[in-house]
Amino acid sequence: MKLNETPVRTSRNFNINNIKLENIEIPQQIESFENVEKIGENTITQDIMGCDLAYGLSDELIKQQEEHANQKLKITIDSKENKEIQIIFNFDSKNIQLVEHIEIEAQEETKSTVIIKYKSQQEIKAYHNGIIKLHAKKKANINVILINLMNQNSNNFISIENKLEEEAKVTYTIVDFGGKNSITNYYSNLKGTSSNNILNTIYLGSKNQIIDLNYIAELQGEKTNIDIEVQGALKDTAKKHFKGTIDFKKGCKKATGNENENCMLLSDTAKSIALPMLLCSEEEVEGNHATSAGRVGEKELFYIMSRGFNKKEAMKLMVKAKFNKILENIENQQLKNEIEQEIDKRLD
Amino acid sequence: MSNKLLEIKDLYVNAEDKEILKGINLEINKGEIHVIMGPNGSGKTTTANAILNNPSYIKEKGSITFEEEDITNLNTDEIARKGIFMSFQLPEEIPGVSVANFLKYAKNKITNKPVKIFEFKKELEKYMKELNIDPSYMERSLNVGFSGGEKKKNEILQMLVLNPKLAILDETDSGLDVDAIKTVSKGIEMFKNKQNAVLIITHNTKILHSLKVDYVHILVNGKIVKTGKEDLATYIEQNGYEEYK
Amino acid sequence: MSKVKLDEINRNIYDIKNKDEYDYKIKKGLTPEIIEEISKQKDDPVWMREFRLKALEVYNSLELPTWGPDLSELDMNEIATYVKPKTSLNTSWEDVPEDIKDTFDKLGIPEAEKESLAGVGAQYDSEVVYHSMKKELIKQGVIYTDMESALKKYPDLVKKHFMKCVPVNDHKFVALHGAVWSGGSFVYVPKGVKVDIPLQSYFRLNSPESGQFEHTLIIVDEGASLHFIEGCSAPKYNKVNLHAGCVELYVKDNAYLRYSTIENWSKNMLNLNTKKAIVGKNAKMEWVSGSFGSKISMLYPMSILNGEGSKTEFTGISFAGAGQNLDNGFKVIHNAKNTSSIVNAKSISKNGGKCTYRSLVRIGENASGSKSSVSCESLMLDDISISDTIPVNDIRTDDVEFSHEAKIGKISDKAIFYLMSRGLSKEDALGMIVRGFAYPISKELPVEYAVEMNNLINLELDSF
Repeated sequence: MKLNETPVRTSRNFNINNIKLENIEIPQQIESFENVEKIGENTITQDIMGCDLAYGLSDELIKQQEEHANQKLKITIDSKENKEIQIIFNFDSKNIQLVEHIEIEAQEETKSTVIIKYKSQQEIKAYHNGIIKLHAKKKANINVILINLMNQNSNNFISIENKLEEEAKVTYTIVDFGGKNSITNYYSNLKGTSSNNILNTIYLGSKNQIIDLNYIAELQGEKTNIDIEVQGALKDTAKKHFKGTIDFKKGCKKATGNENENCMLLSDTAKSIALPMLLCSEEEVEGNHATSAGRVGEKELFYIMSRGFNKKEAMKLMVKAKFNKILENIENQQLKNEIEQEIDKRLD
Repeated sequence: MSNKLLEIKDLYVNAEDKEILKGINLEINKGEIHVIMGPNGSGKTTTANAILNNPSYIKEKGSITFEEEDITNLNTDEIARKGIFMSFQLPEEIPGVSVANFLKYAKNKITNKPVKIFEFKKELEKYMKELNIDPSYMERSLNVGFSGGEKKKNEILQMLVLNPKLAILDETDSGLDVDAIKTVSKGIEMFKNKQNAVLIITHNTKILHSLKVDYVHILVNGKIVKTGKEDLATYIEQNGYEEYK
Repeated sequence: MSKVKLDEINRNIYDIKNKDEYDYKIKKGLTPEIIEEISKQKDDPVWMREFRLKALEVYNSLELPTWGPDLSELDMNEIATYVKPKTSLNTSWEDVPEDIKDTFDKLGIPEAEKESLAGVGAQYDSEVVYHSMKKELIKQGVIYTDMESALKKYPDLVKKHFMKCVPVNDHKFVALHGAVWSGGSFVYVPKGVKVDIPLQSYFRLNSPESGQFEHTLIIVDEGASLHFIEGCSAPKYNKVNLHAGCVELYVKDNAYLRYSTIENWSKNMLNLNTKKAIVGKNAKMEWVSGSFGSKISMLYPMSILNGEGSKTEFTGISFAGAGQNLDNGFKVIHNAKNTSSIVNAKSISKNGGKCTYRSLVRIGENASGSKSSVSCESLMLDDISISDTIPVNDIRTDDVEFSHEAKIGKISDKAIFYLMSRGLSKEDALGMIVRGFAYPISKELPVEYAVEMNNLINLELDSF
């Protein structure tokens, strides 16, 4: 199956215009999914608009959403008090398939934090196909924390789409650890003047995991800003594709965009492909991107080991150090501890 | 001939839609060293940029004359060619243009005469030596990869080479260590004569110890609130700006 | 606020159109009969004729690229793939027909030959009309001749290397090249011989609605070194011309090759050129590339670092004006231990032109200890132009140092103010900044070209 197309194609021989997955079955029948915890439930309802997406992962997955979604949640934010809303989807032997559709509407001048977590409770082979649609209205300030702690037998597909109005600020923190295949499509439309989108991702790949990230930011309004920071580590034969597109559309005068992607390679069989695109049709803009890949620095490793850590511990420490800058954005301490434990577990 | 070089009358200037200067008056004559002091945000840098007519600073009212000619709305390069030089607080980095080529080109524009390469190089080398600038900097890209101190010394080098009638030094001393401040002061002394003038913009007084200053102006909240002699600087050094706020 | 306008490149010299006179011009289109006819005209050996026909089959079986600029305006039925000039190969400029010699005179080729080159080749439409090299080099065993002569004089050497570095099925236009190639230069530098003055081949396409398909094959043997310069231009016609050349470079162990290109095709040219180098142990391949002309350009020189410790550098600039779509870049495959690559690419877009930097850096499983550093910078001179950066970085082992940086933006108002405060007019300030931007590339070009490039960057200001 072919999905997650980049907005602009490059040579087919470079193997990055899309991802082809072998041996994946898209389930035709979707069972129910009930193991959902909701904290801050009073703002969550069931009325959903529709799942028309500008990008999305693939037509097939979106069609499945339209026909078989087994969870539909609409979150309306109308408070300025930054109340935290948490939604936790627990996969277990009775809840194996999740096709969910989440719509978040942040009203004008509100402030909020929404945490969405996917977690495998057992070693089952789960399937997840999700859509998150966010509409941040004028001066809304919203923090979305998306955590994928599914196991490595499962498949994780997620399409995210954001629309930002004037002076809206949307911050995403994505922790992408789980899934035999974890495929994310992220699209932001910064149409409002001075809207600002910050996207921080950490990912971790081990065994034969495949991580495919396709991030697209369209800067349409004046003085808009996008910051994309991706930090990751790969071990064993894990493979990652990062496709990051910052698209300066005509009219986005004084817009700025930054993209920084760094991949720590923890084994000689791990593979990292990156395509950081800058597309520009406007003059008064500033765009930067940087990508890098390589081993954990030997000097740093030696320094840490000289303080009594063995190599594995030292490596873990280095990976966590890189991740920490992004994890700092998460205020919920309990959640942060959980993520750190997962890092330890998955790097073992 | 009049001794008067620069005259600012009732100048109001906005930057980024905010009123920064609110009626400045200033007169500088040949042979004088003036100092404008003031706390952060008082409008010091705006004053320097307004004199050079930086398009990001909008003049709402008032006038600036130089040698009895109205320069309020002249283009920056025309003002520079009249003989006003500004040492930048944060000099821009220009990749691919060497210090020597740049100065040769600028000197040619300012004097409107062909520059004799051999003499020019000798002059440049002499000044670089006086200012403790490594000769290899001549071929390096203008300000690219220079430390803060090196950039400031390079500004003084440009002042010496271009030899203006009025040199405005915007925070040239800020962020410099003792030795660098000495070098900068030395540069100013080399430059200064009876026919030209210097306007030093600063928020500290270290650089003033080794220079003979004629007038000190205190700029607070977009207005010159007091003008005095050298001892006013000493007084500020001890007491701060509090009483003028 | 005011807008910057760059002068269009002064093309007076390049636009001299000679009468479309030729000895033989093949009919337009692409059929086995036409290929056979070209082969006959060129008196090919049998293997080459068969090679051409096979390449045509490959051409017909391949699709147009699904990415990059739109090539739909190219109609091969409207292109004459072979135009034989009304002269044969000469070794003295005196023997070259007057109007053709005049063209090369105006381009400054014989002049440069006297002053700064060790050898010159000049191609006019489909055939090389002049080739010459200094006697000292001939004595040292250096071969520098046109491809046709090489095919006859050094059949084994050519057969062993011809389209082995760039295989015919690489892409559609390489296959086309294989079928209709004509002209180009062949260079062989024997072991240990250092050619310290550059050789230059100049390609001129005069005939309208035609294509140029020259083949350049360079072998720099072990420990030898060479600087090769390639120049190209054409007068402007209303209908498209096609350039689908092929450059194959073999840089053997411990050898060094610098390949400089100044491409200044006319604005009706589709430049679909393919260049590739195979680099041996501890050898070094340097590419210097200035891309100014063409309506559409798709050009991605490639280094394959097959030898341990081999190195490559790419330094390039693209300059797109009105109606131009320059899709250029670089590809490198790290295929052995301790290899390194350095890329420094710049582009300037103006008057509605489009520049794309498209690239691939692949560090293979077997390339531990390798390093790669890539830097791209794009300058937008107005808000009607386009500048895209599409780099693929494919890292397949862990013991590597890889970094990639790209920047896009316009000239800062602060920098302009700074220079104006030193007495420079706004035009001068802009010109200085743009020339400075291009300097890291222009300093790598041969002097005549660096001067020419700076002249191209003449700024004109239009304020309101």
